[in-house]
Amino acid sequence: MKSKRGKNGFIAVCILPSVILFIIFMLIPTVNVFKMSMYKWGGFSNNKTFVGMNNFKILFQDDKFYRSFQNSILLIVLVTIVTMAFALIFAAILSREKIKGQNFFRIIFYIPNILSVVVISAIFSAIYDPNQGLLNSILSVFRAKDAAPILWLGNQRLVVYSLVIAMVWQAIGYYMVMYMASMAGVPESLYESANLEGAGKIYQFFHITLPLIWTNVRTTLTFFIISTINLSFLFVQAMTSGKPDGASEVFLSYMYGQAYTNSSYGYGMAIGVVVFLFSFGLAGLVNLVTKREPLEF
Amino acid sequence: MKKEKLKRWLAAGLVAAMTMTCLAGCGGGSSTDGDNGDSGEGGADGDGQVLKVAALESAYGADMWTEVAAAFEETHEGVKVEVTTDKKIEDKITPAMKSGDYPDVVHCATGRDAALTETLTKEKGLACLDEVLDMTIPGEDVTVKDKILPGFLDTLGTMPYNDGKTYYAPMFYSPCGLFYNAGLLKEKKWEVPTTWEEMWELGDKAKEEGIALFTYPTTGYFDAFTYALLESSGGADFYNKCMTYEDGIWESDEATAVFELIGKLAEYVEPTTVGNANDEGFTKNQQLILDNKAIFCPNGTWLPGEMADAPRAEGFEWGFTAVPAVAAGEKPSSFTFFEQLWVPAEAKNQELAMEWVAFMYSDKAAEIFANAGAVQPINGISEKLSDENKLYYQIYDNDAAVAVMGGFAATEPVEGVSMADSLFKAVDSIVSGDKTVEEWQTGVEETSDKLRDAM
Repeated sequence: MKSKRGKNGFIAVCILPSVILFIIFMLIPTVNVFKMSMYKWGGFSNNKTFVGMNNFKILFQDDKFYRSFQNSILLIVLVTIVTMAFALIFAAILSREKIKGQNFFRIIFYIPNILSVVVISAIFSAIYDPNQGLLNSILSVFRAKDAAPILWLGNQRLVVYSLVIAMVWQAIGYYMVMYMASMAGVPESLYESANLEGAGKIYQFFHITLPLIWTNVRTTLTFFIISTINLSFLFVQAMTSGKPDGASEVFLSYMYGQAYTNSSYGYGMAIGVVVFLFSFGLAGLVNLVTKREPLEF
Repeated sequence: MKKEKLKRWLAAGLVAAMTMTCLAGCGGGSSTDGDNGDSGEGGADGDGQVLKVAALESAYGADMWTEVAAAFEETHEGVKVEVTTDKKIEDKITPAMKSGDYPDVVHCATGRDAALTETLTKEKGLACLDEVLDMTIPGEDVTVKDKILPGFLDTLGTMPYNDGKTYYAPMFYSPCGLFYNAGLLKEKKWEVPTTWEEMWELGDKAKEEGIALFTYPTTGYFDAFTYALLESSGGADFYNKCMTYEDGIWESDEATAVFELIGKLAEYVEPTTVGNANDEGFTKNQQLILDNKAIFCPNGTWLPGEMADAPRAEGFEWGFTAVPAVAAGEKPSSFTFFEQLWVPAEAKNQELAMEWVAFMYSDKAAEIFANAGAVQPINGISEKLSDENKLYYQIYDNDAAVAVMGGFAATEPVEGVSMADSLFKAVDSIVSGDKTVEEWQTGVEETSDKLRDAM
């Protein structure tokens, strides 16, 4: 009896450090965000006024917030689908096929991931440059000579897609390496027997590879949601600063703009709460929808 | 058995020690920093007065601040000045400020992204500087009020609450106007337009030669430009009414004339401008002037320095002119941009901080600033200017142009609403055709209504 209590005490002492750290660095800040979202406060003075749900009331009538929310959702959906498709295809090719310079490609694809967002933004700003940019130079071959240049970062209907391209380029390598790692774990014998049965490469991909790495794909989906939300803020800050006229604003950049530039810290925190609930809910939903009986091999 | 118990306690002790050191390491950082600063410096000096100055490192560089600090220490014996400078000074000082450790004086202009100055203004966190104005400048026998150039002290740019009390000390002024390639106009034998009619004529002529009339770095530069237009459209009274959000003022004829003028100007904007009008690409828009692809660009006197190393067309020569008047018979106008120096209400050493503010207008300090290119708004400054700078600062000479000063009045923060968004950022949409001038104008009036309620 005594030794059991001692053991429990020992366990308690062991997990105490991480519990304390978790409370200080995760729980308290999160609770604080929720609390601050109910105050009108500029961020510095001591005069915080409790306004209840007023910040949320304003938020749900704020067109600019809806626009930034739409942009964020568009980015999450497009970046996830496109990146996942490319990463899976490249991973399958690089791990299943024998091609020359496999390692070379693996490195090339991974390089964007070790570059900082600021560097990537500079690269893409150069690519998107209306006059000397790579993209417009290539397109000019197909377009009339005196056609107006395409403003990749200046056209309000194009700017979000320009961000998508940069973000996909940045993310592919990382997810490709992750998928390749789990594809390496799929036993060769399965493919051999599939070959004997006469299954084609594409059939093998959808019926052997994909189901067997499904748990990995599910995990990366959550990563996609979190990283797109975070990275979209960095890309917007570095590349467009929300311009033109707020057309490239995403919810985190809008939150930053409200909390700091517009001196409405409490309102910014209200946006933070919505983003928090949204990303939590979305991750949960995706997890639920993609739930499958795990396959053993 | 006993041994095992000992082992267990030892392990528990180690874990506890780890926790403590970890937490101490995380939490202690800022407090030890502060201690070092105070006790270390204080012990070394006689009466140990330490003045903490935070200053933005702008295009003028950071060295001038250390020089001025040294000059201040010379005139104030026993005082030690600790200068913090950074290109993003807000990021450097706000964490300490939030925990109550404020600098004594802060030099940080309004209109920056982090909006520290605006936030403290809206939160009523500034000390009133009225007593500084009556102070005698250290080492001289003239008061601050008498030394500062006329006009600088009675604007919303120094009295943000529009209540007759000064909260910002005006620093480093710079006329804003239209920059152009004087060499190009000379070569083509084009006159510098003095009215908007002449401007449109020039625009049509230039268009035939494949040169656009206008470009802008980012929409942020439309503040000074729009302020100048508003002043020359309706005069000083009208301008102040706009800046204090008077009901219906943005729908008046004078304001409509300004909106329509910018709407027409949008047709003359260089077609790639919007694509580069962001923080990453704005220099490409400024480059259009150097490459003779566009004629005019609204900017401040820092532009030639900013583009000093950029390649340029042959025969290039900077030209600078005020913004032509909107109303017929009015004089051209130019917005005078200046930066702000302020004392936080929470500053511990306010008395010394006020001394510092007064010292900024001494001949000694002004000379140090002038050597770095920063121009203080004081009497007799024109003798200290370099020849290149004289070109810009002479635009007000002989009453040639009206100087416009001070931006929008400070209000309580209004969630989701800002004049910068409605009035300036929207210009991108006007140029790209995503918004009509009417929609723009309605939006500005709505914003003005919301901000008026929060005055």
